[in-house]
Amino acid sequence: MKRLLLFSSLIFALFPPTLPAQNVDSATLLHPPADSWPTYNGEYSGQRFSKLDQINSSNVNSLALAWASHFDFGAQSFAQQANEGRRIKASPLLVDGVLYFTITDNVWAIDARSGREIWHYAWPNNNAIHVANRGLGIYGSWLYFMTPDDYLVSLNAKDGTERWRVQIADVKQDFFSASAPLIIGNHVLVGPGNNDDIRAFLESRDPATGALQWRWWVDPDPGAPGSQTWSDNATMMKGGGFPWLNGTYDSELNLYYLGTGNGVPMDRPPHPTPDGDSLYTASIVALNPDTGKLVWAYQVTPHDTHDYDAAQMPILFDAEFNGKPRKLVAQISRNGYFFLLDRVTGEHLLTTKFMPQTNWAKGIDAQGRPIPDYTKDANPPGALVSPYPIGATNWWAPSYDPKLGLLYANAARTWAYFTTAGYGRFRFPPQYVTVAIDYKTGKVVWSHELGDQSAVLIAGLITTAGNLLFTGDSTGNFMALDPSTGKTLWHVGLGQYVTNAPITYMLDGRQYVLVAANDTFFAFALPEPPAGAGQSASAKHR
Amino acid sequence: MVLLVSTVTAVRAQAPAVDPAAAARGKGIFGANCSFCHGAQATGTEQAPNLLRSPLVFQDKGGDVLGPFLKTGRPTLGMPSFASLAPAQVSDIAAFLHQRLTEVRGKRLPEAALLVGNADAGRAYFNGPGKCSTCHSPTGDLAGIGTKLQPLALTTAFLTPQAKPEQVRVTLPSGEAVSGTLKFMDEFTVALIDSSGTYHSWVRSSVKSVDVTDPLAAHKEMLPHYTDTEIHNLLAYLVTLK
Ligand code: HEC
Ligand code: HEC
Repeated sequence: MKRLLLFSSLIFALFPPTLPAQNVDSATLLHPPADSWPTYNGEYSGQRFSKLDQINSSNVNSLALAWASHFDFGAQSFAQQANEGRRIKASPLLVDGVLYFTITDNVWAIDARSGREIWHYAWPNNNAIHVANRGLGIYGSWLYFMTPDDYLVSLNAKDGTERWRVQIADVKQDFFSASAPLIIGNHVLVGPGNNDDIRAFLESRDPATGALQWRWWVDPDPGAPGSQTWSDNATMMKGGGFPWLNGTYDSELNLYYLGTGNGVPMDRPPHPTPDGDSLYTASIVALNPDTGKLVWAYQVTPHDTHDYDAAQMPILFDAEFNGKPRKLVAQISRNGYFFLLDRVTGEHLLTTKFMPQTNWAKGIDAQGRPIPDYTKDANPPGALVSPYPIGATNWWAPSYDPKLGLLYANAARTWAYFTTAGYGRFRFPPQYVTVAIDYKTGKVVWSHELGDQSAVLIAGLITTAGNLLFTGDSTGNFMALDPSTGKTLWHVGLGQYVTNAPITYMLDGRQYVLVAANDTFFAFALPEPPAGAGQSASAKHR
Repeated sequence: MVLLVSTVTAVRAQAPAVDPAAAARGKGIFGANCSFCHGAQATGTEQAPNLLRSPLVFQDKGGDVLGPFLKTGRPTLGMPSFASLAPAQVSDIAAFLHQRLTEVRGKRLPEAALLVGNADAGRAYFNGPGKCSTCHSPTGDLAGIGTKLQPLALTTAFLTPQAKPEQVRVTLPSGEAVSGTLKFMDEFTVALIDSSGTYHSWVRSSVKSVDVTDPLAAHKEMLPHYTDTEIHNLLAYLVTLK
């Protein structure tokens, strides 16, 4: 018996299961079919709105668990003792009935019908920062993922075998990588992160070979446009601003929209004078994905001094604004403000405060940018500041419902006491809330309290044509809300709070909603028709 | 500017000598255990605060404050416990953090820098518009608070005091009410422990009302309304309560 078992596992090791040939081409990425989710946001606009409506507001109360699948990350060898990097923060990809997801150092292919593992790939143990891994990119039949120690790795989607690896940055300089590579045309866009004083960049790599195609520097070259917003070249050339999430893409304009990180150090010169914006940190930028050239930029936090990066997803949609049809880009930003721009030109249209207690700015300038109140910097007597650096929102995936013209994000009410003597940490935990923002006015039309029970709430959102919004609260409930009112229509306690953004897809005529909490995936669907309906029970079980 | 330079010199003179070998070991231990939340250089990330601005780290000498803190952590606030770290590992981490502090020293002022407020104005605010005196007494519960807490800790103590158990009263459809200490509440369920120590819970949609009394409600309500000057004045007053 023992020998037999051994023999069969040996066969398994020699011949890992292979999957039908995946072929995700540019057309699939531009127009993903309903039975796929081939990029981080499902498609390029960042709306996280699904046209599926089998699950809808009239039947969501019968939504039930289809499967749950637990992944024992404890069995992996980690250098780290704490849990942050071991949570499923990735948005899984779905192609041909197979889900692909990551946690730091690890990639899995699992069956979307059952949650069962098909293959698993483990990157060697390393001492890099293991904060998160937000998922994969797929192109042809090849997967792309970033390791914490800054390699871009390409795997065969069929069996998880490694095709190649290329180094993007040097872990010895404290780089780390957490974002999901995004494939646009013939480009794999990747960016690492770094919390230190170092020059920030985004790269494009060749999907076939991993060779560098271009590199865009957030901090400009000396003398180049933008460099006049820095005190001196030395500060600028290590000014930071890493775009640590991926962005969104408009294929007609051929523009890639990306939010950049905050400048470093927080008290860099000139300080505390109001000039010296530190371009292109804390900005929404539009890049040509073929050349890496900057087309336009809009800074949402001039000369940031509070760690308010602008990495949040720039959401693309076409809608009327002031009576004119517009191509728009919106960002619900970490600094507590909502921004609406024309995405062709970067022209500013609207700025509003979506978290009312936000107090680091004293007004809005002629270009719609908040005007920093430098008495709210870390100064000797101390200043009470909202939001706390974790932000009014963070990487928690937002959504846009085009039927209602409402944008949604999970947000936090937070405070901190900034001083030069130290950093006052507050004992009142952040209070989390889902906000719905009318893009035309920037006003919050409803908000739904999510509680203050977890130190970090990181659940993202999706909306669907079934008139539903899915997200999680701070106590471990996964919920469907009415997107027009914020009212709870359905909920289930998962025991652990949601750690990624839900996705939804159609498989065999059945709509699934898939979400992760810590180390477990939960797939929900409407109950299957009773056995016997349509086919005999024996036929079904054969 | 002159003031800044002289203060910096004063602080540097007090800085404890750091053993570079211990700091190098500490960097590795910190890298493996702490960096993905606090950043490789301990300057903080989206997950966790900058430790080079932590009062707890400032007060530490050779791990004497850090050690006990790491034993428990603050799990409810996202800071795990590191009970398994050996004392030598803790003192190596401390050496690394103190080395980092020395590196950024020029940017940090001592806590005395917080004391710019007017104590008389602070007293007037305490007894007047702040309504502090309706719950506190400078000779009663707050006596000695200026000795017990350093200025930054004292500021965060009055801005956001330590959470206290909340009381709750659950009214059932029958009109009967059950009261006790709130154990758990979210949008869907509520649980309490009554005076006999018995645990009760309800699905919230099945009860008539849930009334929570939070002893810190006044503090939570006040937080968004302080001006920085009021905070500076209050601190200047509270430190006189020796
Ligand atoms: C999972 C993330 C995480 C890890 C890992 C972690 N910390 Fe923390 N740490 C936090 C958070 C979050 C806080 C803030 C808690 C609060 O709000 O009071 C914190 C607070 C602290 C503080 C107190 C700061 C202050 O002044 O209040 C110290 C000191 C500290 N951590 C040291 C460490 C050390 C040393 C390690 C490694 C042995 C470590 N931490 C690992 C998340 C983490
Ligand atoms: C409605 C009652 C109420 C009011 C008004 C109030 N407090 Fe408090 N305060 C409390 C309670 C309850 C606590 C927590 C219990 C405790 O530690 O005494 C507390 C805690 C504190 C603490 C922490 C004490 C410690 O030992 O850590 C300080 C300091 C404080 N309050 C200062 C103030 C100041 C200053 C004001 C006015 C701006 C104020 N309080 C207004 C009820 C109140």
